[in-house]
Amino acid sequence: MNFGVIRALVVKDFALFFRNRFYALITVLGIITYLVIYFVMPSSVDEELEIGLYAPVIPPFFELIQQEEGLKFHEYNSDQDLRQAIADRIHEAGVILPEDIMEQLASGQIPLVTLYFSTDAPDEIKDIVETMVKELAYLQTGQFLAINISAEILGPDLLGDQIPIRDRMRLMLVIMLIMFEMMGLASLISEEVEQDTIRALLVTPMSVRDLFTAKLLMGVSLAFIQGALFMAIVGGLNSQPSIILIALLLGSIMFTGSGFLIASLAKDMLTSMGWGITAILIYSIPAFGIMFPGTVTDWGRFIPTYYLTNIIHQASNINTGWSEIWVDLLILMVFNMLIVWGGIMALGRKFR
Amino acid sequence: MNLRRIIVLLGKEFIHGPKNFMFIWAIVAPLAFTLVATLAFGTLFSDKPKLGIVDEGDSQLVVMAKDIDSITTREYQDVISLKQATRRGTVDMGIVLPQNFDDIVVKKETSTIEAYIWGESLAKDRIILPTTIANLTRELAGQEVPIEIVSVTLGDEASTPWSERLIPFLVLMGVFFTGLMLPSTSVIEEKQKKTFEAIVITPASITEIFIAKATMGIVLSVFMGIVILLLNQAFGASSLLLVGVLFLGAIMAVELGLICGALIKDITTLFTIWKSGGILLFGPAIVYMFPQIPEWIGNIFPTYYALQPVVELSMRSGSWSDISLNVFILIAIDIILVFFIMLAARRLMQRT
Repeated sequence: MNFGVIRALVVKDFALFFRNRFYALITVLGIITYLVIYFVMPSSVDEELEIGLYAPVIPPFFELIQQEEGLKFHEYNSDQDLRQAIADRIHEAGVILPEDIMEQLASGQIPLVTLYFSTDAPDEIKDIVETMVKELAYLQTGQFLAINISAEILGPDLLGDQIPIRDRMRLMLVIMLIMFEMMGLASLISEEVEQDTIRALLVTPMSVRDLFTAKLLMGVSLAFIQGALFMAIVGGLNSQPSIILIALLLGSIMFTGSGFLIASLAKDMLTSMGWGITAILIYSIPAFGIMFPGTVTDWGRFIPTYYLTNIIHQASNINTGWSEIWVDLLILMVFNMLIVWGGIMALGRKFR
Repeated sequence: MNLRRIIVLLGKEFIHGPKNFMFIWAIVAPLAFTLVATLAFGTLFSDKPKLGIVDEGDSQLVVMAKDIDSITTREYQDVISLKQATRRGTVDMGIVLPQNFDDIVVKKETSTIEAYIWGESLAKDRIILPTTIANLTRELAGQEVPIEIVSVTLGDEASTPWSERLIPFLVLMGVFFTGLMLPSTSVIEEKQKKTFEAIVITPASITEIFIAKATMGIVLSVFMGIVILLLNQAFGASSLLLVGVLFLGAIMAVELGLICGALIKDITTLFTIWKSGGILLFGPAIVYMFPQIPEWIGNIFPTYYALQPVVELSMRSGSWSDISLNVFILIAIDIILVFFIMLAARRLMQRT
């Protein structure tokens, strides 16, 4: 391998990339766009169901339930104040308890409880609030319940420490950012094949291996630098930075290898774009599953990016350490080797 | 300008277009995205807590739970599947109903229910689901509700479900992806393959070539807009007016596509613009998606003036008076863009 030639090729590719001011500007704008998307997303998770309450006398169970996480009653001094709060959309729902509710319950009468809902309140909230109030009334009257629930938490318990949607989305954004470089690289190679500059290069003392190494270095560094920069700005490197950086590096290698594969399949720039978009759609499925948990079932494990997204998600959002993710890292490396090897072989055959 | 030549060129576009990958992609991608989004986002963004049940007997509680709108209920065959689904986040809570559960409840005996809680589930879901199960159990046992509930809705504005909030994005995707991509890729490809030079040395003028490409883009763009609205059952009552607005929006998309096609030298750059500049096109759709974002922000984006009338007519039963101002602004933008096309076309001719 001729390192001088490789260096010259990498410098040439970078120079070509950044000589085009428009291309360079747009790359920066791409990162800025993703950053804007990240920062406009909600930074916290609303974990509690908050309900307005006007009750001259608060039944003990209504007070007791407030000690549980997940439900909070905000007390108001009058019916009018509560109505105003609902109309102002401070709460989606409000409960009015009659003054003599305790006496009525004690004497076996059926008290009238009024529920207020804002027009924004979805139907499920209406049903949920009604169910909650009914259950509290059952409990208040001491009615027998035939079940005991014995609960076990599965997975890390994030109660009170939920992952905001923007941090779930961060993963999708960084993956998309580096994945687009795969398409860029594939297009670059397709362009060189179309214009026959590849053949021109291959008649120089440069070997095919030098060419691939240079392209690999160029693709990986472009993708990795963008991904790492993005993660650093959005706070994605605050926990387990070494794991995340290694995962990003492996991801960049994977996408560069995929870029080779796409370039080997494509006969021109447009076909290369088509295959690139198809690959991006498939590769982004696991990140989609992190954004919306439960949507991707176990078949997602067959997509190489599953391991990449899982590592970054676990490390950046749940602060998982090396001991728990080394297997995923290993699988990711194996996938990388297969993809890069496959890409080089396929593209090499095309050049011949 | 010769109408016959335009028709001949248009025929060429329609005959050779479908052989092009981009042509197929411009039609398939928005449709696929619409279908996926309609299927997926209908429930993805739902705030409903998700309950998983394994019924070891034949309990009525499963049927009752499935009938409730406030939660989403899924049944699993065995505990292993239930635990896997809970660990993945497919359900927030999974319960196992023992054999003869209904008999135990009716006989007022106590039964212990095994429950699995997803570690990332929200605190409110962890209180809503057990409360709902308790309520259903009481219903099964025939217990009478000790209170009477009256529900009152306050305010006059209705909330918008996620399935509807996504429609503006899908419409923009359909109209602008097709309208922008088809003429731009067509012009770029002709430039790259040098067929453009061949055409312009014939009696056909650049205006005629652009009109032919624009016509094809507009026809397909309007078609895509209509199909997407129909797929989402949001065509509204003012069909003719809606098609007219889609037509004006398609003109804007096609004009932008022609400008891009004339100025951009290759497909890679076009996709880079799409990747980064997409935010300028889809900005208004994002504003519609998140009501928390002030609506005036949407006015900054040119596509707002194409989107607002479509949303008003298709989803809000609006009339001409609700959209007239924005339609006139849209027409003004369309006219202004014609001048930019003329400048871009002149530059293209100078370089050809």
